[in-house]
Amino acid sequence: MAIEWGYAVNQWKAGFTSFARLEEIERALKVTAACGFSSIELNGGSGRWDPIGRPENVAINFGSPAHFRLKLKDWGIGRVASTFFDPTVMSFEELHFGLMSTRREDHARILAQARIHAEMLAELGGDCLVVRPFPSFWKEGALNGERMAAAAACWNAVGEMTASLGLKTVLHVDALSALRTVDEFEHLLELCDRDNVGLAFDTAELTIAGHDVVALYRRLHERVWHFHFKDALAVDTLGEYRLQNAERAMIAAGGEREIPRWFGEMGTGLVDFPALLAAMLELGYAGWVIVESDKGPAPIASGMMLNAWYRKHVLEAA
Amino acid sequence: MTTRKLRWAYMDHWRIDTPQGQLSQYTSVKRFDEFLKQISAIGFEAIETFDFHLGPLKELFGSLENARAFMQARGIDKVLSLFHAVMYDERQSAPHVRATHDHIVNYAQHIMRSSAGLGVENFIVMPAGLYYDVEPVTDDKLRACAELWNRVGKMTLEYGVRTCCHHEFFCGIRSAEQLRKFYEWTDPRYVFFYCDTAQHVIAGVDPVDLYLKLHDRCGGFHLKDTHHVDLTGDYRRKPDAEVMAPTTPRWFHEMGTPQGLVDFPALMAAMKTCGYEGWVGVEHDKADVGGGNYPESTALSAWYIQHVLTKIYA
Repeated sequence: MAIEWGYAVNQWKAGFTSFARLEEIERALKVTAACGFSSIELNGGSGRWDPIGRPENVAINFGSPAHFRLKLKDWGIGRVASTFFDPTVMSFEELHFGLMSTRREDHARILAQARIHAEMLAELGGDCLVVRPFPSFWKEGALNGERMAAAAACWNAVGEMTASLGLKTVLHVDALSALRTVDEFEHLLELCDRDNVGLAFDTAELTIAGHDVVALYRRLHERVWHFHFKDALAVDTLGEYRLQNAERAMIAAGGEREIPRWFGEMGTGLVDFPALLAAMLELGYAGWVIVESDKGPAPIASGMMLNAWYRKHVLEAA
Repeated sequence: MTTRKLRWAYMDHWRIDTPQGQLSQYTSVKRFDEFLKQISAIGFEAIETFDFHLGPLKELFGSLENARAFMQARGIDKVLSLFHAVMYDERQSAPHVRATHDHIVNYAQHIMRSSAGLGVENFIVMPAGLYYDVEPVTDDKLRACAELWNRVGKMTLEYGVRTCCHHEFFCGIRSAEQLRKFYEWTDPRYVFFYCDTAQHVIAGVDPVDLYLKLHDRCGGFHLKDTHHVDLTGDYRRKPDAEVMAPTTPRWFHEMGTPQGLVDFPALMAAMKTCGYEGWVGVEHDKADVGGGNYPESTALSAWYIQHVLTKIYA
């Protein structure tokens, strides 16, 4: 496998009324295909209004994962690459208000929920279960050895489960994560099973968190098995990931500086994508690059089309 | 290597949401840049636009040559067509009124002189005024229209540009019989036909049949769909049947919607049979009516081209 391109679907579901009707999903995925992306990353969701976020919803709306796959093919989407699963988000189906990998008492429920998404992903022919490995920093503060070890144990169990289904587990560290430093990244990777658990490298999230993504990738590349490509328009220079409810206070409201958008289309911000791609090619990266329009303004097709142009005219032309 | 017989152009009605409300992309270089990148990303290689955008392009880029170079750097080769925005008015510019012809010809010549540098190939006009201004549509009025566009067409060819007639459903030349007479009375050397699929369907004319009749004179296409045929005489409705008809809030849709009435596969087959080669324009004016947006409609049209039309003829 060389570099394979896909697009995440997360930006289409802004609220429970959006991306709920099948014709909306058809239009969104046709836009995706028209932009030259014939693979997608699903988003593990919750609620009857998310037809492609959960296996029981796929069954209701499409009959089965196999039939869903055929529908996707009709729309020009040949592959489902991956599914994103965040256990810290409440789930109506699993009846929780957020599970913590750092708490061993939550592990069995995280594993069970991850299995539900992984089994559907395997049926769809996917490769990677992308997980949010830690809760936000503001929820429990800095990691210590005990919490780090607990999280690693959780993801090793999930990694073993996904491996049994022919999938990889990749840890997606975001800008608000309790995991902050390069030393913590390396310590976590030492604790995780190197056969089953790798990193999902999100260019914008890591840039916002203050990392030089090219240098970080060069350091960790052996364990980077998945990418999310989106640009970062600002860096969290004030350390606002510590704010109470930073998802709202920092990301949505922009923090003290009222940053209007943290994420942007490729080529509009701080991430040096040509340098990163050069490093990926030099180091022999083979796997998925999932482009995102996470939290972009309407119309969503616009951000996707701009990313498609950048891929074709800048990244692939280089 | 397969040579493509068709290249795709985008007829530009685009508007964007900004912090200052909805604006044209001709309001800044950055907005125009993003517009070009978006349509280029999904396979379009030229734009068609209105002649009233010549001024903003000059202001944004200093010259039309600079504007074209900017476009080409983003994958858009040229401004293929200029739609001539005539404000039809019997006092100065009504094709069926011979006394206004000199004014219309002079204005068209001004546009020709003003547009050099963009690579324009087509000058697109609605060949008669609004139906309610023209009716009753007599043979003499049709002959007057034909005389005008023969003059204009001969003149534009001196600039290397074809004059193409585009028949809105509310145009004074709209029915099959009116179209037949108009093209019979215009000179095929000077006056070309532009096939707007939705407009003809709304007017009750089969665009595939019309294309087959006029293919030798076809200068290009505006491929768009409609969900409605005008059965209640909206084409006569004042003041603007296209935007304000109470029966139909949105006349036009992108290709590929399930309710669409245009038989695009049949048209592509007809183009293949007739050996059409060159540019094909895609249009979806008023895409934002009812909460839609231009990027999504454009990308969906591109999907339909890629997954349906090119399998028939490319």
